[in-house]
Amino acid sequence: MRDGRRGICVVLSSDVKFLGPMRTMVRESCGLLGFEAAACEEIVLAVQEGCANVIRHCYGNSTDRRIDLWILFHDHELEVQIRDYGTFVDPKTIKSRPLEDVRPGGLGVHLMKKVMDEVKFEQNEAGGTTLTLRKRVAATDENETGGS
Amino acid sequence: MALDVRREEIGEAVVLNVEGSVDIYSSPELRGELKAALDKQAPRIVIDMTGVSFIDSSGLATLIEGLQKVKGYAGDLYLCELSQTVLGVFQLANLDHIFTIKESREAALG
Repeated sequence: MRDGRRGICVVLSSDVKFLGPMRTMVRESCGLLGFEAAACEEIVLAVQEGCANVIRHCYGNSTDRRIDLWILFHDHELEVQIRDYGTFVDPKTIKSRPLEDVRPGGLGVHLMKKVMDEVKFEQNEAGGTTLTLRKRVAATDENETGGS
Repeated sequence: MALDVRREEIGEAVVLNVEGSVDIYSSPELRGELKAALDKQAPRIVIDMTGVSFIDSSGLATLIEGLQKVKGYAGDLYLCELSQTVLGVFQLANLDHIFTIKESREAALG
């Protein structure tokens, strides 16, 4: 990529059955970018939660909508963008439940925030939501010298 | 990998042997098997997660629901044989102290 970032972009259907193959792709991509296995699993979890939220909340479980997923790496930082074309989710309305209130649900955003350095929801130009997840890693020769 | 749940009865315990990924796609299958054990008010339910490679918040929600229901009739629910990755997700959600997690299937069967 000309801006110096390396990575991958895929378009997913908003169908939960495709999240398994998506996870495989994210896991392998993060491995190629030099992340250790444990960090790859954390990123996979965060992307899973982000995509599942889009399907459930932005698309109301419709299976034929579009999700753009970008995984980019530059300057010791991984950036994941999950872009939907549905209803914008106001970040102010997105709350994790208190962990001491043990009940089903309400953990997705909490998990994303625990494993990523930054979690940001913004309205995109299509009127939907772009979720940006960032995670920094220590520099290694391997993860800074690969080709575009 | 899809989810496979195999149910067996050992004494008074119902053991669910789970293999694959427990996520928003597959967790309804686990919920169904769990419901069968809960409906018969099995005194001890053991979920053997030896073959579970991934769990997300939907999977956790399914297990929390099961735990709440089993407590409703004073039964026990044990989880066992969690991989480090799966245990890590429970720890992130502070659920490792809520569930009774045993290292081995034998320990869970008591």
